[in-house]
Amino acid sequence: MTRVISISPTIRHEGKSGLVLDVDEKGIVTRGDWVGLSPVRGIERFCTGKKMHQVPKIASRTCGICPVPHVLAGVGAMEASIGCEVPKDALLLRRIIHSASRLSVHALHAFMVLPDLYYPGTDTRINPYSPEPRARAIADRIQRIREIGQDCVQIAGGEAIHPGNPRVGGMYRNISPQAKTKLFDLAKEGNVLAHEHLDCMLALIRDFSRREWVEIGGARVPVPKNLGYHNQGYLATDPLYGTSSLEEHPSFDLARYAEVSPEHWYRGPGEVTYGDPTYPGGGTLPEGTAFDPAREMCPAVPIYDGQPVEVGAAARLRRFSNFDEKGTIGQLVARQMECIPAVTELEDCIDRLNPAGAVRAGTLPPGDGKPGWAANEAPRGTLVHITRVKDRKVRFFKMIVPTSWNMPTAGLALAGSPWQLAEFVIRGYDPCISCASH
Amino acid sequence: MGAELGKYKSCVSARSTDKEVLKYAQDGGIVTSLFGYALDTGIIDGAIVAANKEFYAKYPSKCIQDSSNLDMIEPWRPIPAIVNTKAELLAAAGTKYNISPNIALLKEATRSFGLDKIGIVGTPCQMQAVRKAQLYPVGMRDVGASIALAVGIFCMENFPYQSILQLVEDHAAMKLESVKKMEIGKGKFWVYGKRGQVVQLPLKVTHKYEQPGCHVCLDYVANLGDISTGSVGSPDGWSTIFVRSKIGEAVWAKAIADGVFETQPIEKVKPGLELVTKLANEKITKNKNTLEARKTFGVGKALRNPYI
Repeated sequence: MTRVISISPTIRHEGKSGLVLDVDEKGIVTRGDWVGLSPVRGIERFCTGKKMHQVPKIASRTCGICPVPHVLAGVGAMEASIGCEVPKDALLLRRIIHSASRLSVHALHAFMVLPDLYYPGTDTRINPYSPEPRARAIADRIQRIREIGQDCVQIAGGEAIHPGNPRVGGMYRNISPQAKTKLFDLAKEGNVLAHEHLDCMLALIRDFSRREWVEIGGARVPVPKNLGYHNQGYLATDPLYGTSSLEEHPSFDLARYAEVSPEHWYRGPGEVTYGDPTYPGGGTLPEGTAFDPAREMCPAVPIYDGQPVEVGAAARLRRFSNFDEKGTIGQLVARQMECIPAVTELEDCIDRLNPAGAVRAGTLPPGDGKPGWAANEAPRGTLVHITRVKDRKVRFFKMIVPTSWNMPTAGLALAGSPWQLAEFVIRGYDPCISCASH
Repeated sequence: MGAELGKYKSCVSARSTDKEVLKYAQDGGIVTSLFGYALDTGIIDGAIVAANKEFYAKYPSKCIQDSSNLDMIEPWRPIPAIVNTKAELLAAAGTKYNISPNIALLKEATRSFGLDKIGIVGTPCQMQAVRKAQLYPVGMRDVGASIALAVGIFCMENFPYQSILQLVEDHAAMKLESVKKMEIGKGKFWVYGKRGQVVQLPLKVTHKYEQPGCHVCLDYVANLGDISTGSVGSPDGWSTIFVRSKIGEAVWAKAIADGVFETQPIEKVKPGLELVTKLANEKITKNKNTLEARKTFGVGKALRNPYI
């Protein structure tokens, strides 16, 4: 007999979301719907008519964890539409803040999943807030990595959260030689810590993948080997930075993309038939609670070749580095593995940066309404901003956000897992619901 | 009254022992020498100062002035800049009697300039801004902890650029380009020309050119600086120094030990603290009255009072 369980809100990720799960008698999910509940702010709509310089700054406010990709995709899209080439050193500064922010966001996600993991070889969960030395060693390192990442974004981008330095046509300012030295020191320190962090996280994730069961709400829940598997395919445009329609051979095909309303992928109205008050954090929703995922879902559903796809660290490594591990464990491993290329890229770009170089293109064309788009490989996957700029004003603005791609995919990936692990599965996608709704 | 000079640990009359600094300095070369010393000893790794057009021409990347057209920048308009060397400090020395928004660089100093330990010089209101940014950092992430040395300068009032233009070019009948130094002292506004001309204007004529915002200011001797300095109270070529905070005390003691300054006890010099106190009292009393008048400015309506 099928029971319907709903977990709402879900925790330890950005934004507000809920899960509606059809569950068989063994507690295995047969159909999952992951519903984004962060209210739509309507950024695409209210940016229409605003100046091209303002829109990336507004888009940045979509999300405070990944403002960097939004601001970079925003300025990139404006530049693609007006047809403006960015000076080399400006691009390097952008790559610096991009890789530094990826480093710190991935480290933050490690913090989010730590409470799901166990100390290797034990049945003790990790509490990153505990004063115990084992937990502190992990948590302090993560904090320092994040500090380094944010300091780098702050120096090169003007501000760690909502960087003010990027502008249409390049950057406002180059950095001083003194700042370059400081960046380099930070990156060197980050490199060492990122390697230690990777070793530590891989050990924890590998240990988790060998476990037969985990304890949730006092009960032993079996961990399936195919946790979070799906057949939806993967999308990535670049291992590190991104692409745009200015490029000769852009690695993203806008023609294969479409956006549909949630009705196409989400279930209709119904009500909860089973409530579990022992589920951690106050229980699941009580029996009789009405839901309507197709209508409650705030983000729209982007599809590629007619299907939802997975984007993110695992998709990037799969496409560009022959990574072949699937499912939630694969995502967790891939995400932590990406910290190293991020920090290497950071060092490399700092090295190549000329502090005396020009960072602003000359006169900016006002734009003639030609469509332009820029994809940025945000920490959570492919972020695309599409725009049409005419007379320096934005006539059309559209954001395709990583978590929007991932939400329907993750819903499909829930099937086959015990319902208690559903939150762990969606956490594997490092969701950012504010981004998805925008 | 009695609190008009703020809290301080010691007060002396001093001047730099560096002859080169004295050549460029307004008075005793305190700010230039102090920042030079702090840069040399690693107390600060950069300082925010008020530079000028010539400085900008020489070191454009040190300023946030956003104009590549030098002709657009007027002579004697201060441009906030970040300096890292003695040569840059000397290029920025000297008082400019109009508004220099030094705090505009405060956050940027910790960003693209990459400073960890900032030195900043400013008028009393700018010291207030620095302290407020430290205690209530609204949009000032990581700024507070980066401020290593705040040097305040005495300030009676300031002028908008247009006022200086009018005072110098109309009242003193001198082209701004030909001015070597300006000074307010001994009840006069002095303008020294590069060819040796000296013009003095009675302060009475300058009053209507003052920046209106200065009329509610209740701070004369930069009460919130780590160290405050100004010309009043000391003889020509010397400065009066208040050493106020622990940071100020430590830096000052080291600088004295290293022979950066020569000092005289303030009690030994003329006119001494008595004049400073008198002028501070005058400023505060006058401006308190302005504040008071704002309460009943309209009929049944007041103008805002930022102090309450």
